[in-house]
Amino acid sequence: MRTMLVWATGALALAGIPQAALANGWNMPVGVTDVSRDIYSLHMVIFWICVVIGVLVFGAMFYSLFRYRRSQGASAAQFHEHTTVEVIWTAIPLLILIGMALPATATLRTMYDASQADLDVMVTGQQWRWRYEYLGEEVAFTSNLGTPREQIAGGDEKGENYLLEVDEPLVLPVGQKVRLLMTSDDVVHSWWVPDLAVKQDAIPGFVNENWVRINEPGIYRGQCAELCGRDHGFMPVVVEAVEPEQFDQWLAQRKEAATQAAMGIDREWGLDELMTRGEKVYGSICASCHQPDGSGSPPTFPALAGNQAMLDERARHIDTVVNGVSGTAMPAFRSTLNPVEIAAVITWERNAWGNETGDIVQPSEIAEQLSE
Amino acid sequence: MATHLPPKPAPQYSEATAGGMAGAHHDRPRGLMRWVLTTNHKEIGTLYLIFSLTMFFIGGIFAMVVRAELFQPGLQLVQPEFFNQMTTMHGLIMVFGAVMPAFVGLANWMVPLQVGAPDMALPRLNNFSFWLLPVAFTLLLATLFMPGGGPDFGWTFYAPLSTTYAPPSTTFFIFSLHLAGISSILGAINIIATILNLRAPGMRMMDMPLFVWTWLITAFLLIAVMPVLAGVITMMLLDINFGTSFFNAAGGGDPVLFQHLFWFFGHPEVYIMILPAFGIVSVIIPTFARKRLFGYASMVYATASIAILSFLVWAHHMFIVGLPLVAELFFMYTTMLIAVPTGVKVFNWIATLFQGSITFEPPMLFALAFVVLFTIGGFSGLMLAIAPADFQYHDTYFVVAHFHYVLVPGAVFAIMAGVYYWLPKWTGHYPHLRLAQWHFWLSVIGVNLTFFPMHFSGLAGMPRRIPDYALQFADFNMVTSLGAFLFGASQLLFVAVVILCIRGGEKAPAQAWEGAEDLEWTVPSPAPLHTFDTPPDFKPDQP
Amino acid sequence: MWRVIKSVLAAFFGVQKEARRREDFGRGDGRAFIVAGIVMGVVLVVLVALIAHLAAG
Repeated sequence: MRTMLVWATGALALAGIPQAALANGWNMPVGVTDVSRDIYSLHMVIFWICVVIGVLVFGAMFYSLFRYRRSQGASAAQFHEHTTVEVIWTAIPLLILIGMALPATATLRTMYDASQADLDVMVTGQQWRWRYEYLGEEVAFTSNLGTPREQIAGGDEKGENYLLEVDEPLVLPVGQKVRLLMTSDDVVHSWWVPDLAVKQDAIPGFVNENWVRINEPGIYRGQCAELCGRDHGFMPVVVEAVEPEQFDQWLAQRKEAATQAAMGIDREWGLDELMTRGEKVYGSICASCHQPDGSGSPPTFPALAGNQAMLDERARHIDTVVNGVSGTAMPAFRSTLNPVEIAAVITWERNAWGNETGDIVQPSEIAEQLSE
Repeated sequence: MATHLPPKPAPQYSEATAGGMAGAHHDRPRGLMRWVLTTNHKEIGTLYLIFSLTMFFIGGIFAMVVRAELFQPGLQLVQPEFFNQMTTMHGLIMVFGAVMPAFVGLANWMVPLQVGAPDMALPRLNNFSFWLLPVAFTLLLATLFMPGGGPDFGWTFYAPLSTTYAPPSTTFFIFSLHLAGISSILGAINIIATILNLRAPGMRMMDMPLFVWTWLITAFLLIAVMPVLAGVITMMLLDINFGTSFFNAAGGGDPVLFQHLFWFFGHPEVYIMILPAFGIVSVIIPTFARKRLFGYASMVYATASIAILSFLVWAHHMFIVGLPLVAELFFMYTTMLIAVPTGVKVFNWIATLFQGSITFEPPMLFALAFVVLFTIGGFSGLMLAIAPADFQYHDTYFVVAHFHYVLVPGAVFAIMAGVYYWLPKWTGHYPHLRLAQWHFWLSVIGVNLTFFPMHFSGLAGMPRRIPDYALQFADFNMVTSLGAFLFGASQLLFVAVVILCIRGGEKAPAQAWEGAEDLEWTVPSPAPLHTFDTPPDFKPDQP
Repeated sequence: MWRVIKSVLAAFFGVQKEARRREDFGRGDGRAFIVAGIVMGVVLVVLVALIAHLAAG
């Protein structure tokens, strides 16, 4: 009894907390898009409806418990049905629900209208990173967790944006309608940024559609929301919203960089430069499964260090990285990485951790295979 | 359906009696074999309850591992692979190993006693249904020691994470789930056969106690959806071992199909775990309010409505998988409709309390806490039904808070209420009052400390099933973990109460509770091994 | 017929007068109610689907 009374007062006290306090880390963020504001107000309306019903229902209950205690000499009445009362308390919730369904339907219709977008971005989930592709702009990159391992498992002090920081954020223009096309290369992921009120599953074999029009410049952080394997908790989303002019500049820079990167395909590369490049690619793409020291985590992710089958069959090694292995967790990297990166990472794998084959895989070789 | 005529004694009625009696008079097995071979509904009920309690503690230990890791940000105790196995096994064990067998155990004990039957209709099948469970769950737990570890894909085991990307032990997981599913189906068949055929002469359907009614409806739900689960895990089995591509997009399969099939099973499954709880509470509240249940017929109708609607709402678990707009709206509307019959139930319980003559024995305490805390879970459920808002709630700790509110202070509290209510009938002794009260208050405080802050961490943006989290969620998680340790530890009190009650205590008369009126209170306490060998003379309390 | 439909509707709504309930259960034959229940269940699904279609525009 007593705890229940404490509960009721607690609920009332909660109801008395100003909304500003609630919005600060205790409640759903209001967010920075029209849709997120709509969702926030739907959330608050239904919350207050529940609070009011709760106060009435629990009030009636605690009144009865208190008033009709046998220890106070209450004797039981004998009624056990009352059709009018039953009709009323069935009909009122029905009406409230209809009242809630109307604005919810309107918001949902807005959320589903992804037409007339100014910009299309393809979002691809991969274990355990996001890949962003600005469709028609030839700009694409992957976005990995930026928090150092030493902060997660080691004793290093955790930074302000612990687990919510990435090496390269998704950059979007404010005020423009951006269509987000979601898919996945492996398992189901879910792309979520609370401030944008966008959460959409990224499903292999499907392309889902959502959209966002950001009202204020800023950095917005979120996470993968659907369990996607070991590093599900280490797959953040960061969106940097900038003014359209700034966005155009950024996009032009990225295009330039992409052309630069593609330039090296035809020339002959040396072992050292491939190894330097390969180590970086391996660290950001492969190490999450096959481990930084190439030991893998068998049986799902085989070891690469000292993997004799891999070292003996160079062509199959290339094929594995380029086309993946169907029916296993190994994805195809033909569209994720450029030929230089693929050549570099294979060269790295064939020469690191005591795998001293001395093999060099040239970017031109990969480019040739890709064009077949 | 109306049986205005007393049901004729069915053939299996007399056979069951004869079989049971024969066993009692001749070479009745002793020791361990007595329990392995028993066909007595009371002994099998006890076995189910002991099994369920064991699983409750094993699943609880997994939850403690999860909460210990989440006590602070950073990875301290376990690796993410193992963390995922712990969350998955916690869910699977609690759903299939603890809550469901507990309700089946209560049904085994109480349904024959409440309808005035000598035993379950199919006693040997009953034995088989039970003994499938230890096999199934030994197998499931063994996967933790296999190479690659146990299931690590969540209790919802979404493909392709649970097929192409799953550990090799997944085949064992599938087999164990098949066994548990067969056990559930056989148990459900037995309960339906008992309720429809073995009621005491003169007891009509609408005279049955609500626990019997809710179990009858639950049993039909089980028979309807368990085969769907069996189908979907068989498709997984084929994908993993026989090269099919039901759920493999690269082979032309459809990962979303998995989710539709799973939730077509999964949503009714949720109601399978709550309808018998409604029944228990609907039996306990009138007893301790000393007043007939308000709106008995409405309660039956509302249970049936909830059961039927449960087949029409499955995709509300999938609001963000990219369903077409029409489907989103359809499932949002049907989900909101479920709030109506659920509300009716809560209102009826409160109307039963109104102008009653109320006392607060331990079963009543748990039943009252059930009403309040289940309703809080209902409110968050209503919020989750609003599809646009679900885009923010989905897969966050808000959802975790919601379903734990309906399952822990919901289903589990109802089970405990039932145990405290019927312990005098089972053992002949009242449970130790002080200890039971301590158990209740510590559980109520623990459960709220654990699950209430989850609402806030979820709304603030914490996804579920993550082994480590951003710093702004640290305070909520610390409170949650402390609450979880408190709740976990206080369940040891429950075990103490039950053991003490078996060994002794204040003697209970046949009618252990003053306001209790159902048939089980007409047989002595403790109930002898064989009851109602001759059908009781049932007089409905309506004219 | 109309009686059966009214009783099934009352069951869907979850409220029924005790007297009416006893009358219905006193008929001894549940088949009419079961058939009506199934038909009305289908009608409910179609109705909600129709509303969803209209609302989706």
